[in-house]
Amino acid sequence: MLKGIWGSDWFGLFVVALVAGTGLALFQPAFLSPFNLYVLLISFSLWALVAMAQMVIIAIGQMNLSVGAIGGLVAISFAGSMEVWGLPVPAAILLGLAIAALCGLLNGVMTHVTGISAFVITLATLSIFKGLNIGITEAQPFYGVPDVVKAFGNARFEGLPHMLIVPVVAIILIWLLFNRMVLGRQMLALGANRHAAELSGIRVGRVVVIAHVISAVLAAMAGMLAVARLQLGQPTIGDDWLILSFAAPVIGGAVLAGGHISVIGTCLGVVIVTLINNALVLLGIDPFFVQLFLGGLILIAVGLNRWRERRLAPA
Amino acid sequence: MATATTGRGGRGALGLLASNEVGLALLIAVLVAIFATVNPGFTSPFNLFALSRVMGIDMVIGLSMMVVLVTGGLNLAVGSIGVASVMLGGWAMQVAGVPVLPSMTLAVAFGAFLGWINGQLTVRMGVHSFIVTLATMSLFFGAMIVATRAEAFNALPRSFVDLGKLRYGGFVSGMLPLALIVGLGLWLFFNRTSLGREILAAGANPQAAELSGVRVNRTIVVAHALSGALGALAGLMLAARNGAALPSMAGHIGMGWLLPAFLAPVLGGTLLTGGVVSVAGTVLGAAMVTIITNGLLQLQIGEFWVQMCLGLILLAAVLLDRARSVIAERRRSVA
Amino acid sequence: MTEPVLAVEGATKSFPGVKALDGVDFVLRPGEIHALLGENGAGKSTLIKILTGVHLPDSGTVRLFGEPVRFRNARAAIQAGISAVHQERNLIPRMSVAENIMLEDLPERFGFVDYAAVNERALLWIERLGLAIRPDQPVRSLSVAQMQLVEIAKALVLEARILLMDEPTASITPHETEVLFGLLKQLRDQGAAIVFVSHKLEEVFELCDRVTVLRDGRNACNGLPIGELDRADVVRFMIGRDERTAKLGDKPVDAADVVLRLDGVATSLGHAGIDLELRRGEILGLYGLVGAGRSELAKALVGIGGVTAGTVTVAGQPAVVPDPTTALQRYRIGYVSEDRKGEGLILIHDVGRNIGITIWRRLSGWLGWLGEGRARAACRPFVEKLAIRTPSMGQKVGNLSGGNQQKVSVAKWLAADCDILIVDEPTVGIDIKTKTDLHELLWELASSGKAILLISSDMPEMVALADRILVMGGFRILGEVRNDHDYGRMSTAIMGHIHAAEAA
Ligand SMILES: Nc1ncnc2c1ncn2[C@@H]1O[C@H](COP(=O)(O)OP(=O)(O)O)[C@@H](O)[C@H]1O
Ligand SMILES: [Mg+2]
Repeated sequence: MLKGIWGSDWFGLFVVALVAGTGLALFQPAFLSPFNLYVLLISFSLWALVAMAQMVIIAIGQMNLSVGAIGGLVAISFAGSMEVWGLPVPAAILLGLAIAALCGLLNGVMTHVTGISAFVITLATLSIFKGLNIGITEAQPFYGVPDVVKAFGNARFEGLPHMLIVPVVAIILIWLLFNRMVLGRQMLALGANRHAAELSGIRVGRVVVIAHVISAVLAAMAGMLAVARLQLGQPTIGDDWLILSFAAPVIGGAVLAGGHISVIGTCLGVVIVTLINNALVLLGIDPFFVQLFLGGLILIAVGLNRWRERRLAPA
Repeated sequence: MATATTGRGGRGALGLLASNEVGLALLIAVLVAIFATVNPGFTSPFNLFALSRVMGIDMVIGLSMMVVLVTGGLNLAVGSIGVASVMLGGWAMQVAGVPVLPSMTLAVAFGAFLGWINGQLTVRMGVHSFIVTLATMSLFFGAMIVATRAEAFNALPRSFVDLGKLRYGGFVSGMLPLALIVGLGLWLFFNRTSLGREILAAGANPQAAELSGVRVNRTIVVAHALSGALGALAGLMLAARNGAALPSMAGHIGMGWLLPAFLAPVLGGTLLTGGVVSVAGTVLGAAMVTIITNGLLQLQIGEFWVQMCLGLILLAAVLLDRARSVIAERRRSVA
Repeated sequence: MTEPVLAVEGATKSFPGVKALDGVDFVLRPGEIHALLGENGAGKSTLIKILTGVHLPDSGTVRLFGEPVRFRNARAAIQAGISAVHQERNLIPRMSVAENIMLEDLPERFGFVDYAAVNERALLWIERLGLAIRPDQPVRSLSVAQMQLVEIAKALVLEARILLMDEPTASITPHETEVLFGLLKQLRDQGAAIVFVSHKLEEVFELCDRVTVLRDGRNACNGLPIGELDRADVVRFMIGRDERTAKLGDKPVDAADVVLRLDGVATSLGHAGIDLELRRGEILGLYGLVGAGRSELAKALVGIGGVTAGTVTVAGQPAVVPDPTTALQRYRIGYVSEDRKGEGLILIHDVGRNIGITIWRRLSGWLGWLGEGRARAACRPFVEKLAIRTPSMGQKVGNLSGGNQQKVSVAKWLAADCDILIVDEPTVGIDIKTKTDLHELLWELASSGKAILLISSDMPEMVALADRILVMGGFRILGEVRNDHDYGRMSTAIMGHIHAAEAA
């Protein structure tokens, strides 16, 4: 049991997160203030969804460059449909999810049917989705977000933002998917060895398409949370998601070639990135350093993972 | 003949039509004809000058990505490297008072060095260059921003800025011939030198190449260094056009270059899986993308819809290319 | 006669450059174990893949219980009651043994995978196959033989009426084979129809009821009862003539001129205490079962996987080989890989680029400049010498036939002009004529003063070519046999070493 935890992908990360958190709390009392925790958890909420969206596609051995573009398109559709058409909030949410599902369907069907790499397909759809976004908004935000949504974005209980509920539920479901459900296991089998998965009678096309839809829906949730958080439908939502979406799963031990991901590891990856961001702010370090740290962190995490793999590999 | 690995099966007229480069060239001719008829302004010397300038820059960006794609890897850090190198060159010219040519050489060498770092990290860590360059795009860009405090160099020497105004025959920017010369050099490199051939072999099948005595790791490092140098060159071209070295000229952490960087080689028939290169295809691919962008901008669809049209056209081009190769494959296995 | 469960009529399947199946007939009846035989490349696996929905036939029909069927994917075949052990490994390394076995049909409870049931049902077959592993163990912790057995369990667990097994015994021990055969006979007696592909004719005669032999994608015989045939008949069907070892001239071996010498060599791949001497003009055979560590030893010699102990001496000088480049350029050692497609050739490149790869550096001039004409001209003599059938130097190697591909892979090393050539399974999957050509070529090379280390699992080939035969097993040298080219005596002596090691 203990050995299992030791050998798990995320134990090292857990220690790193714990040490970083404790260190921050000791040196910066402000770190534990409810408001700071709230700020931290808000960004965790968003990033966790973004990371999950990419992780699902990494699991099947592909990449989804259009995660951010989908998030952005859904965000402005969500805000825009409420402002321009006066849609009630639940309807707008459904519309957002439906648009995402369509985007995911397009990505999935195209990759599967044409056999072109998902990298190329999602590069193209990234441009299409982002182009739609810019075309619709003319690069101007939608300001008319209803008060309910704004309130949800600001609501908190002590340090806990209400919107945390969304990623928490999503994380639990995704964990169940990959660890306890046939579909998730099939995704991992497909990611590890596509040919073997086919021979085992797995409906590869179906699994690929579903994975892309799930990914898009997660991106959509992140996009709509971002609207609630920002209090407006900003067309640039999603522009800066790409790096983090890969960084967190990879820090969390995902194998980029597919077949192996860790939901807990990915979440811890998000926690670590969030903590570092927060530390830089709290310690008054130039925000420009964030990029530098993020880049370095990915390299270190990947290096450590490789090192551990080599040591654990049967001689 | 511009494809490094000849023998695309069917020869003769059919084979020629089936080739990617000819298809692209035809497509470009059609597009130019359409844009020229719909909008006379398209062929004005002023527009042609602007078009050829952007075209040259995008070609070099595409070639910069191409040399890494050949190894089966990719370089997400092209933009970061380009900007970081140019900022160094700009600093040398404007602040340190180094003459223009040495400054430019310095920038290109620095780009090669950053690319070399990417290559070394990829090889040493044994992870895919996607992850390595994802990290270094952030790392290089962050370091550049910290070093420059995000400030531009906009008092560059005249002789450098004038390079961007160079024009031939009244409407061809000097950038275009420069890009074509770079392309020719790369074609010769991949088709007429042992190292170029080895890079292709290693990209197509690293195990086989390694066992045949090719130092695969070295080919990867060389390709990345070359990519970095080309990225820096593209950055210099862009800075000459802008008349300034700007930290923001490749967008957020250099991501603004990624679309043109991938579009040109992918449209041109360079395989993402490595081992096959088409220099002419990349050059034509870049030309097509810039022509479409330029033409669309001049039409009445409005600048906000240009990106979506580009995306759609890219998708269509990729699908067409796929259909073409599937048909070619089918014909061969029947024969 | 009973109604056939499965009948194939006139199945044809082409790949770029080869016609893998050309009008093949095949009839499988309930309650029989039907041997499907043929040389490598004869089309056995392709036939199996058509029956399992991996490939669609270009023409021909497949009837299941008299009804024509056309499987578009593996799933369709499984649902029709056909399960298979494929030749290549198809396991998910990170998943548990049980999950791999049950992957076709994971039991669910309330929408979640019921891992208790998964382990329980998998355990049943693990035990029946005599495997000493836990169901929850990850597959990547298993040995090659254990993985093969898991693969078999994965097929058996479906309890299909039709079971197709493509070389299931290639990497398992005689004892494990015996347990498997007991199980297969039991299934047959319960009415299952089993197709069994193997190269080990002894096994076929022990286990099977009827035999179909393929040669170059055609039927050499169709469902003959095994009782009416003897070994020589089967071999004649397989190769189209009597078993014959190529007649090769006299070849002097310079016993004094040792070009390669290993003393107590151990490697990071797991070899220990390897002693070996290879002389000028000699063909030294390295025989062993799959997993004996022969290819790995070859790779260690060219610098893939380090030598951790002992000494390697090349041409009298102590040698350290860090990588294949050094092996080629400094020590003049070349390695013709057994894995033609994975390690030998660059399939998407043309003939010229495949052969030239070892000599570009030598040919190129200032700044590495090397014209295409010059590069190709340097390769042309080898295309001619090996009579490689290709329309031009510009033909993609992937479009050549298997035999010609193998010739290209050898030509590359002829061009390199090595003193020591390690040749790994040079004639696997190629036609008889090419095989004879290659045998004569190796002989000629040795006669001209090269030293050749021949790795082969093809006993007749070994007996025909080698001067001495080293028997390997478990990453060690088990013994040496001086070859007198008498097949019977040699095979007994070789198997003696292997059995002795197994008994110990
Ligand atoms: N997927 C494939 N693509 C191209 N050629 C193939 C493919 N599969 C098999 N072949 C070719 O078809 C022929 C028959 O192969 P196979 O059925 O595997 O033979 P066997 O199993 O009898 O050794 C060989 O020449 C092989 O190279
Ligand atoms: Mg086979």
